[in-house]
Amino acid sequence: MINPAFTPSSDDLALLEVKDLRKVFIDRDFQTPVLKGVNFTLQKAEMVALLGPSGSGKSTLLTILGTLMRPSSGSFNMLGRELTTLKEKELSNFRNQEIGFIFQYHHLLPDFTALENVMFPHAGRLWRETRVGRERAAMLLDRVGLKDRMNYQATRLSGGQKQRVAIARALMNQPALVLADEPTGNLDRENADQVFDLMTEIQRETGTTFLLSTHDRELAERCQRRIYIESGVVVDQPVPRERTISAPRTGLRVIDGDAPSVVDRTSTTDRDLQRRA
Amino acid sequence: MRFDLKVALRYLLSNRLQSALLIGGVAVAVTVFTFNAALINGLAEFQIDRVVGSSAHVTIEPAQLRPAVLPARDNTDRLTASQVTLERREQIKQWRSVERTINTLPGVTGVSYNILGTGLVSRGQQTLPVTIKGVEPSRLAAIAPIDRNIVAGDARLGLNDVLIGRKLAENLGIRIGQPFFITSDQGRERTLTVRGLYATGIDSLDARLAYVNLDTARVMFDLPEGLSEIEIKLADIYVARQVAEQLAESTGLEATAWMDKNQNLRQALEGQGSSGNIIKMFTLITIVVGVASALLLTTFRRRPEIGIMRSFGISQRFVLSVFMIQGALIGVLGSLVGCILGFGFSTLLANISTGSGRTLPVDPSLGQYDVALLLAAAASIAAALWPARAASRIDPVEAISQ
Ligand SMILES: Nc1ncnc2c1ncn2[C@@H]1O[C@H](COP(=O)(O)OP(=O)(O)OP(=O)(O)O)[C@@H](O)[C@H]1O
Ligand SMILES: [Mg+2]
Repeated sequence: MINPAFTPSSDDLALLEVKDLRKVFIDRDFQTPVLKGVNFTLQKAEMVALLGPSGSGKSTLLTILGTLMRPSSGSFNMLGRELTTLKEKELSNFRNQEIGFIFQYHHLLPDFTALENVMFPHAGRLWRETRVGRERAAMLLDRVGLKDRMNYQATRLSGGQKQRVAIARALMNQPALVLADEPTGNLDRENADQVFDLMTEIQRETGTTFLLSTHDRELAERCQRRIYIESGVVVDQPVPRERTISAPRTGLRVIDGDAPSVVDRTSTTDRDLQRRA
Repeated sequence: MRFDLKVALRYLLSNRLQSALLIGGVAVAVTVFTFNAALINGLAEFQIDRVVGSSAHVTIEPAQLRPAVLPARDNTDRLTASQVTLERREQIKQWRSVERTINTLPGVTGVSYNILGTGLVSRGQQTLPVTIKGVEPSRLAAIAPIDRNIVAGDARLGLNDVLIGRKLAENLGIRIGQPFFITSDQGRERTLTVRGLYATGIDSLDARLAYVNLDTARVMFDLPEGLSEIEIKLADIYVARQVAEQLAESTGLEATAWMDKNQNLRQALEGQGSSGNIIKMFTLITIVVGVASALLLTTFRRRPEIGIMRSFGISQRFVLSVFMIQGALIGVLGSLVGCILGFGFSTLLANISTGSGRTLPVDPSLGQYDVALLLAAAASIAAALWPARAASRIDPVEAISQ
């Protein structure tokens, strides 16, 4: 619908290469190492889930990849450009053209309508609204099922509707990469499924690469690939989550039952990929 | 419409109460500014009118005698001595040539060729000192509008006539048609007839001055040819200094403009002017402080939104511009309203005061509305600079995670 004729070109499939990315938060003389050498590659037109326990550094990684924060060391290269060396202005411009953000909270601008929110990244770059921008925004809102809510004030939309507007906004400038940090984290099951389905469909239609962090294993399963991050490094398979059952005296530990199946499938895929390489 | 302007407008409209208060605040400051200007300038105009309306704009007098420098003996400091000579009376001898020069000057609306002197008037037991001014009868009203201020008798100046102020007449207990005994500083006695009384409202004229015919003055003060001063009135009083300089240059005489002749007036005007400027400065400071603090609050409130804009690659310049435009809009709207209010208020006061008889010298046309508009808008824009910079430097990560 958005770009129905899209087929990923086979000649250069790499979109993003992350090499030994590190981040240490420094607060006065207190240092918090969060990313400790992250390595991975994203291909064009992939939908990848980023998984990992709370505090493992998912949001930090997405923020750095979105050029909103600079890494302490390491490099990442997108579309052939080394982003760690770009100046603030160039980063801002790159972000505007090539990266779309979807956050857990929709972060719509409350004083603007749904349509204006979607147009904003485009109009803000050109310093004026254009007919082309307006048409594209309207088309995107139509695509996310909000044709009849285009001129509603952002504050007058439901939670799920707001998040769908946020998706449309992230796609406004036809970015190469959409970064979504727990995009369904604030929604109930039904809404989460709808929003996720929408993202998958749009991802397929547009050939945009999606990297989304989530705690929802069910949704992660529906992505083409999963990257696990564990205390600041990418791991082949998730360490099975330990859960303490209400037996405080004995402290009996039970391994999370869901984990193994996930581990098996992905680890095989990952290993296969590595073997092939 | 520019998109930054649209965003700025949307922000101003989204918080109508705050915007209205801000614009109102700027408007009040500008009202004070313009009313203050209308009052101070109106007062100055009133004072200048009073002085300038009844006195010369440029006065030509004989060049002052330079004090002679006496040769000093060795080992002594040089002494400067000023000799006051009674014999060498200061006068303008070659005034016919000066007259020709004046006749070529543009913008001259009146000239009077005068002989000035002092004398003592006696009436019964009383003796009062008066200034005597000898003028050509045809030029009597060239400088002060004596003819329009005659309250008794008439303004004809025959060889034996004198026109005096009503105050002086009261002090002497003298009436129209009565004799006026005068002894000039040259020792000449003369008896004149009081032909008319005038009341200009200016004490120096009404209580101490007497007008006589120029030819009468020539005899009384022993000046058969020369003059003691030439007074000139100009169409534009503010070129008086240039005209004075020009005349001094071409005649070699001393020529003084009204503002230099009336030091008191000048000091009064300067004093009023600087106190007016202080008030104006405070109104501008009020604008800067008010607008800056309100906009700073706005940037703080909108941190997450600005952060999100930055996250989708809106440039710092765009954010800066949005806030600068808000400052500019507040400034321009506020000062427009303020100018209207200031004009209205000045007009109201100017009318009320005339109604009750006592005049408050407010001149609504002198409110300096253009200056107020420019300065208030500039102050608001300057005030927006700091909040706008703060907004443009918001760290998107911090703002989003809030
Ligand atoms: N500005 C900061 N200064 C210091 N430490 C920080 C800062 N931001 C994040 N951290 C730390 O970095 C670690 C990773 O945080 P991050 O938000 O990336 O985790 P996450 O994987 O997204 O977790 P969650 O799944 O709960 O969202 C946390 O331990 C956190 O305390
Ligand atoms: Mg997170």
